[in-house]
Amino acid sequence: MSAAAASHPTGPALDIRGLSKTYRTGLLRKSSRAALKGLDLTVARGEILGYLGPNGSGKTTTLKILMGLVLPDGGSATILGSPLREADWRHRVGYLPEQPYFYDYLSAAEYLDYAGRLFGMSAAARRERGNRLLETVGLRRSAGVPLRRLSKGMMQRVGIAQALINDPELVILDEPMSGLDPIGRRLVRDIILGLKDQGKTVLFSTHILSDAEALCDRVALLRGGELLRVGDLAGILGADVSHMEILVAGLGREALDRLAPALKASHPLGDRWRLETGEKSLGSIVKGVEEAGGRVLSVQPVRRSLEDYFIKEVVERTEYGWELEG
Amino acid sequence: MGAGRLARVRAVAANTFRETVRERVLYNLVFFAIIMTLAGLLMGQLSIRQDEKIIKDIGLAAMELFGTMIAIFIGVGLVAKEIERRSLHPLLAKPLTRDEFFLGKFAGLGFTLLVNVLVMAAGLAITLFATGRRVDPNLAKAVYPIYLGLLLVVALALLFSTLSSSALAAVFTVGMVVAGRFSDVVRNMREVAPGAPTWLVRFLYYALPNFRNFDFKDRVAYGDPVPLAALGSVTAYAAVYIAVVLLLGLSAFRSRELS
Repeated sequence: MSAAAASHPTGPALDIRGLSKTYRTGLLRKSSRAALKGLDLTVARGEILGYLGPNGSGKTTTLKILMGLVLPDGGSATILGSPLREADWRHRVGYLPEQPYFYDYLSAAEYLDYAGRLFGMSAAARRERGNRLLETVGLRRSAGVPLRRLSKGMMQRVGIAQALINDPELVILDEPMSGLDPIGRRLVRDIILGLKDQGKTVLFSTHILSDAEALCDRVALLRGGELLRVGDLAGILGADVSHMEILVAGLGREALDRLAPALKASHPLGDRWRLETGEKSLGSIVKGVEEAGGRVLSVQPVRRSLEDYFIKEVVERTEYGWELEG
Repeated sequence: MGAGRLARVRAVAANTFRETVRERVLYNLVFFAIIMTLAGLLMGQLSIRQDEKIIKDIGLAAMELFGTMIAIFIGVGLVAKEIERRSLHPLLAKPLTRDEFFLGKFAGLGFTLLVNVLVMAAGLAITLFATGRRVDPNLAKAVYPIYLGLLLVVALALLFSTLSSSALAAVFTVGMVVAGRFSDVVRNMREVAPGAPTWLVRFLYYALPNFRNFDFKDRVAYGDPVPLAALGSVTAYAAVYIAVVLLLGLSAFRSRELS
């Protein structure tokens, strides 16, 4: 461990203060677009933080500034206790870029070896670590295949492996689930949870909100370059039940019309109906269904999901509506 | 340069060399071998003094031509292609500085060209030997400046590669190489354009790389002496010019946004 890290062993893994970035575009660079507007964000050691936001909200810009790929206009950040401009932290951080491209004339094993050389690892350590990571990401049998012959999902796994080659304390993943099939997504979820078990810190951006719900201790929601909300899921979503969902069969149209005033919504599912109602109306709806000769197949309380929150906060609050996602 | 920095530069250089080998850049050696074989067979018809000169001329010119093509067309992609494909993003997040990456790329292509030039020089010597002519050790005095010139082309290609796309970098580099080969035309520009300011002509003449400085082909082919002092001068010229171009390239690359 470096001197800088030793002096901040319990400080945040990542501390961002007032980070801002405006892109200049056009031939004369007269047009501008603010990508980040004074971002403040702290990631505690050992936590998994999901970095969420629609396209163009500034997620990737933030991560690129941290990695030194894009130069900020203002603000500062410390990574594992070291200022951004110092190189010390780079030995202890792993990074997966969005839609990564790796040298396709190399095999996965060769690429990991190359990555390991940049960390100054010995040949034996590179081989041992590389083999273990290829096993972890399920590419052991494709280790020697040129990357140009791997699928997009397999390339993404190579990307995750190279981000972990140095056994990093902080792992920054930009859209790690992108291009993965359900098996790949499950594998990456397990890897991220495994990293947490090892005491590592993970910051990852994603569009797949179910992944964020399943993995994150906290989420940070970004919109238009500004931090909209940051906190744990329970705090953001609330523990309250938003509505009840009732699955019924054998219910005629007339009976459904009679129940309509107490319903929030009704959706046909073949010969069944999925009804939505408030907790208070549940009893009357169940009774009404039975009186009409229908059968209640299931009753389920529904809590507000991260997706509901995301759509409400990010999309409904803007005059641009769904265009934000384009 | 510390051991860690040197190791990272070597890692990038080794990977650049591996890329050129895997991308079959060295296949140009096959064409060179064919040219040398044909030259050897055809020259058998000429007089004994003339044919040796022509074989040397063809061999050295082919060495320079193939080397320049590799230096330009691989060189312009060294940084620009990495930026366009974003393949350098995961690398620069590691303990690899932009300076190390840039210098590693230069060293990698420089090594590729060294291998290329050495194999071609060996091919030229074999052709001379196989056709019963004298293998002239002075050939090295023409090969060495050719290699220095190629390193300068790589440096220029790398500079333009950091400033623009691969296609534009190729245009600029070819322009510089052509202008540098005809530097006498630039010096005598006032004969065809009398209105051109003297200071501008002088500036262009000295600012453009003078690739004629690296041309010892005729002297070696005709058996004229090439003093070591001349090689020393051209080495110093190449070192200074390459250093300046690399520093300009590094400066541009350090502030380049990789979005």
